[in-house]
Amino acid sequence: MSKRLPWIAPAMFLLLALSIYPLLYSLKLGLKPAYFARMAQDHLFHIALGQTLLFTGVALTGEFLLGLALALLVQDLTQTSRTNPSPKPPIAQNRDCLRGSTASAERRWLSRFAQRRSTEAKNPRYLRAALLTPMLLPPVVAAVTWRLIFNPQFGVLNGTLKSLGVDTANLTWTNGESSALLCVILVDIWEWTPFLFLLLSAGLQSIPQEPLEAAKVDGATWWQTTRDITLPLLKPVILLSLLLRSMDLMRIFDQIFILTQGGPGSATETVSLYIYRTAFRFSNFGYAAALSFVMLAITTLMARSLMKVMRIK
Amino acid sequence: MRSLTTLLLAALLAACGKSPATGPSLTLAVNAGVEGTALKMAAREWGRQTGTRIAVVELPYNNLFEKLLMDLISRTGSYDVVMMDDPWFPKLVEGGNLAPLPQDPDNDFIKTCLDVCRHPYQVGKYYAMPYVGNSQLFFYRQDLFDKHQLPPPGTWEQVLNAAKTIQAKEKMFGYVARAAPGNAVVTDFMAILWAFGGAILNADGDPAVDSDDSIAALRFMIELGKYSPPGYAGFNADEVSAHLLQGTAAMSINWPAWIAAMDDPARSKVAGKIAFAPVPSGKHPGQAELGAWLLGVPAGSKNSDKAFQFLTWVTAPDQMKTAALRGNPPTRRSVFQSPELKKKFRAFPAQFASLETAHPRPRTPLWNEIENVFGVYLSKANAGSMTPEDALKKAQDEIDDILRRGQ
Repeated sequence: MSKRLPWIAPAMFLLLALSIYPLLYSLKLGLKPAYFARMAQDHLFHIALGQTLLFTGVALTGEFLLGLALALLVQDLTQTSRTNPSPKPPIAQNRDCLRGSTASAERRWLSRFAQRRSTEAKNPRYLRAALLTPMLLPPVVAAVTWRLIFNPQFGVLNGTLKSLGVDTANLTWTNGESSALLCVILVDIWEWTPFLFLLLSAGLQSIPQEPLEAAKVDGATWWQTTRDITLPLLKPVILLSLLLRSMDLMRIFDQIFILTQGGPGSATETVSLYIYRTAFRFSNFGYAAALSFVMLAITTLMARSLMKVMRIK
Repeated sequence: MRSLTTLLLAALLAACGKSPATGPSLTLAVNAGVEGTALKMAAREWGRQTGTRIAVVELPYNNLFEKLLMDLISRTGSYDVVMMDDPWFPKLVEGGNLAPLPQDPDNDFIKTCLDVCRHPYQVGKYYAMPYVGNSQLFFYRQDLFDKHQLPPPGTWEQVLNAAKTIQAKEKMFGYVARAAPGNAVVTDFMAILWAFGGAILNADGDPAVDSDDSIAALRFMIELGKYSPPGYAGFNADEVSAHLLQGTAAMSINWPAWIAAMDDPARSKVAGKIAFAPVPSGKHPGQAELGAWLLGVPAGSKNSDKAFQFLTWVTAPDQMKTAALRGNPPTRRSVFQSPELKKKFRAFPAQFASLETAHPRPRTPLWNEIENVFGVYLSKANAGSMTPEDALKKAQDEIDDILRRGQ
């Protein structure tokens, strides 16, 4: 230990100086009863908190379901293309035997399969790359693009709808008080579904194939296999991805800052935006620190309950 | 022979690795935008003339305020000259964080611009020089006003009538307001509020946003909003200007920074068709919101002598003329009245009239916080989810809280 100390000392010092000290300082700054009394009566904060939770819930659900569906779909495609060297899967062979197919039919089937196989074998890789694109864009760039798309009078979205004969006069998207939150949620789903897809895909590739094959032999349907084998085996990865994403969603800032700045009114105000303003625009660092701690507590609580739920089931 | 000597000398200097300007250096913090660019160019010029090394830190609008605040409070002295938007001044000057000017500015500067450089407002010592004279203007389509024989928009009533007529007879919006929360909606509302006799803070410094005049003003803004493109409760300056440039809206309140774009055929479908006027009147004469850029020297600066020399030089008539040609509205009467510039900038008379009567935002260090809350409720009222009365009542309560907390 004493031999290693000189080597880890600089890292420890950096950690102390850049992480521990500011943390303690912010505790000292923010943990004052007056701030919590103010928080209890702070309407704008309540609105922001409610919206952050709603945003997190809806976006997380959407991203997870979409990400999972995509991951399963792509996995299916990959598996078809990756099957053993014999062109026909064993079950298909059996089925053909039962039907007593003729040799010519057999050959036709073979050539069709080979064709399908050669295209599919390439597709998933490109598909994966294509599906990941939104996530690879810097959030700020994506948000600026979406802001232009959503513009009610000059945006490409209303422009397209208009050319299809839709009356777009009152479709205001991010500029409408009732639709703004939904729009920023959609943008987040668009941008971050790939992240869940990536994690879940990796998870799917790492689960053992034997139980799946056994199920197939037993004649289980796709839905049965997925529900009773794939998803339970995937549970650790699902938990991890939900945790990562929900924590990220709770502190949503950049997209909303660019898209709506929290407006119209307070329709898309979130806690992070509110904390940012309190600290840097109103220079009230104490209150901002107090708000941040409350956010930290809520996020921790959420993560813990998520872990509990996932473990019990 | 002579050229050889020069060459040798140059080589010698290069070998030393030092530029001829080895005197003290000057660091400027400027806004990343047209205002800051003009100042940067001027500073380089001055650096060459006086042999001073110039460093310029360019920051986007919001970050500039944050950086300045940190630097001024902690007196790090990282900057020698700072560029400030005038509503920031009361916060930045607090606690003696800016150095007082060694001598008062001359009388050629427009009074409304000088007033905001003093602490306390209008009466105290000078802590800054006014550099850019921005104030709101009313932009309207002269061609359409002529076509429909409408009186020029001198009052808000006339604006509303014109908006109705134009929207009914042309395939376009009569007006375009901006009502995104925060600075956007507050700025747009101020000109109406003052014309209707309302105020944010009364003479005693107490909030007055739920007065009858203020409610009437907000009702009027929402009425005018009916002739604005749907979704204007999320609009910022760029959306408003896009509507004017595309010829899809006929009038708006706007800032002088957009004048050049309006007359540029490459960007505008309405080049030459837009007239610029001081903001309309109501029961009170129209008053534009002032948005002057000020130059100050932090108390922590180690080169304050040089910094003040630069301030005097860059705000002198000559340099201000150059800055005007680079797109910055001046703060000096003589520059506004220069025949050469008047010929070049057709909006100058309107800008001058607007600036001379412009009204600054409330002079309180708590302005950012007040503006934020006020903006949220104004935006809600414009989006239609709150009545003007409710919105202003709520805003009144919250501004009251902010003021009580702040004291």
